[in-house]
Amino acid sequence: MSDLAIRLQGVTKRFGDHVAVRDLDLDVPRGTILGLLGPNGSGKTTSIRMILGIYAPDSGRVELLGGEPDHEHRSRVGYLPEERGMYKKMKVLDHLSFIGELRGVPAREGRRRGGEWLERLGLSDWGGRKVEDLSKGMQQKVQFAATVLHKPDLLILDEPFSGLDPINQDLLEAIVRELNEGGTTILFSTHLMDQAERLCRRVCLISRARKVLDGDLRELRRAEDRGDVEVEFEGDAAWLESPDIATATATDEGWHLTLGEGVEPAAVVRLAMSAGVELRRFERVVPRLHEMFIRHAGADAAHDAGRLPLAPRTGAAR
Amino acid sequence: MKTGPLSVLRAIIKREYLQRVRSRWFVISTIGAPLVVIGVMVVPLLMAQGGGESSGPRSMALLDRSGSLGELVGPGLEGAGYRVSRASGGSEEDLATLTQQVEDGDLYAVLVLDSATLNTGSARLIVENSPSSIRRLTLRQLVGQAALVATLQGEAPEAMGLLSGGSLEVEVLDDEVEVESSDFILAYIGAFLLYITLLFYAVAVMRSVLEEKTSRVVEVVLSSVRPIELMLGKILGVGAVGLTQLGIWATIFLLFAELGLPKLMGARPELAGLVELANVAPTAGQLGLFLAFFLGGYFLYSSMYAAVGAMTNSDQEAQQAQGPLVMLMVVPAVILPPVLENPESGLAVWTSLVPFFAPVLMFARAVSGAAPAIQIVISLVGILVATVAMAWVGGRIYRVGILMTGKRPTIRELWRWVRAG
Repeated sequence: MSDLAIRLQGVTKRFGDHVAVRDLDLDVPRGTILGLLGPNGSGKTTSIRMILGIYAPDSGRVELLGGEPDHEHRSRVGYLPEERGMYKKMKVLDHLSFIGELRGVPAREGRRRGGEWLERLGLSDWGGRKVEDLSKGMQQKVQFAATVLHKPDLLILDEPFSGLDPINQDLLEAIVRELNEGGTTILFSTHLMDQAERLCRRVCLISRARKVLDGDLRELRRAEDRGDVEVEFEGDAAWLESPDIATATATDEGWHLTLGEGVEPAAVVRLAMSAGVELRRFERVVPRLHEMFIRHAGADAAHDAGRLPLAPRTGAAR
Repeated sequence: MKTGPLSVLRAIIKREYLQRVRSRWFVISTIGAPLVVIGVMVVPLLMAQGGGESSGPRSMALLDRSGSLGELVGPGLEGAGYRVSRASGGSEEDLATLTQQVEDGDLYAVLVLDSATLNTGSARLIVENSPSSIRRLTLRQLVGQAALVATLQGEAPEAMGLLSGGSLEVEVLDDEVEVESSDFILAYIGAFLLYITLLFYAVAVMRSVLEEKTSRVVEVVLSSVRPIELMLGKILGVGAVGLTQLGIWATIFLLFAELGLPKLMGARPELAGLVELANVAPTAGQLGLFLAFFLGGYFLYSSMYAAVGAMTNSDQEAQQAQGPLVMLMVVPAVILPPVLENPESGLAVWTSLVPFFAPVLMFARAVSGAAPAIQIVISLVGILVATVAMAWVGGRIYRVGILMTGKRPTIRELWRWVRAG
């Protein structure tokens, strides 16, 4: 058995003249939580659809759970698309057992597991009601249950938490974590950077159909760390003119400093002391995902904002 | 866990079938349609006989003061469906008693004939509620004729021959039966039923595809099912609903013809006209033809309608995009009457061999006995070939279109989808 849940090699997909995904390589090790990040229209959903075999790539290779994205391998994947869709006229439990049946769970067993999930999600009274009678948030939880009902080895969640209140976000987050601890590999796309930071072990950043960043989140942080510091002080700001300080940007709470080549962060403290200003706060700034996102995709995202995405989308790049 | 294309297909068919069969619409139309049809046939006959005001023959008292007219009017009244009682005597007290009976509802009416009736044809009718104009006319004619007969009997007995209305001698020159045979009726009704059900169930497939597409549930389904499996499962599931409905209808009519009808006619002899209905009952061969052309036509049209559902984004768009298909379906319905009138004409033969028209037209010709077996076979093979071709094209359009949102594709884009597929 391959130790990779997903492997994309040089995958490209075009729609007419538009290149949705260009030459994408991506390895997702089993057991990890990978965040697929990128601005609108950057190719996340198309990539996911190719992983699932919904689209065939124009060129390149897709490996899913160590094999082709065929029926056998796909039935071990749970997929929550960004566009939430359910059979509105079906009863909740019927819907759950049908989706389970498509993935090989016998109807009766599907109903049993569906009931358990509804209880866990606080919807046990709603199993016999029609889907259309449920609120949007409830429908989203039911759809999550449908995604995990067949105990998949790989969970692919496209913007899983959009439209949920914080309490339910936390609930689903806890369940995702728990499933991961049980061995389920998780790939999810999101615009919520703090959520990605909390949940992901790995991230892959796509922008304008290309991958721009990919790897272990901690390692990326280390690699992206330019030794930036934030300071707050009383006194004249003239000392910031020092050649050791490359840039100094005023923020709400002080200054954000990037340092010159080879300058130790501790040098800032010495500079401040010799300038005679009173240092109130000195903080090493570890790069946040948010900053990495902006740094690598910001220009592209701004450029792409004027273009029409392929499919209507919810949420916005932040 | 066992998974495979077959168990998935079964799940899709089962869902499609159960959701539809359990729906209120299915129950209403399956039970309601035969009731309406039977009602349409039976109720007019009941109305015609009973006058629609009450059931059973009405009783009428005949008070004859003229002395001779009663003999003539009495049988006429009975012929018109009244139960007649001849009231003896003719005093005012007798009349008052009878009038009281009318008021009490024991009698429908009292008809009073006197010497004036004999001279002028006028009579008096005592009745609780104002009778319908048809009833008035019938009674006036009865009385008037009786008066005329009585007068003529006295004065010109030889004129009686003319009054009997003469006689009609029918001389049949050409022995060919007019086409109003039961097969003709069957062909017409059957072809029309085919047209309606084919259109209805093919459109049902389109709506189902569209619903999955617009509700976006299709993306979840397609993450574990191939598009062609989903399309096939949907077509089979909806088709099974159609067969179920047709089967229930056939059973209801059969039960009505075999059990209900004899009972009904025993209780109400005036419904004898319905005997025709029993004569129209189709043979097993004709039922087989219906089934064959229904299945052929359904698979042909539903695979095209599935593609229309997949390439559109809303009901309105689908309404427009299905235009060409509706045209294809309406043509046979429009030329059905001339084809049946002249089932061996060139028009009838050639149009009924066109696969898109064959389900309705060839069925009609086959049932009316005008189509040789070889033509029936050719048309069925033609339908099969066309179905395979349309399912291939439709499947490719479906596969691309089902996940496509935005503008409706142009013909050229559609062609590209088919080629790229």
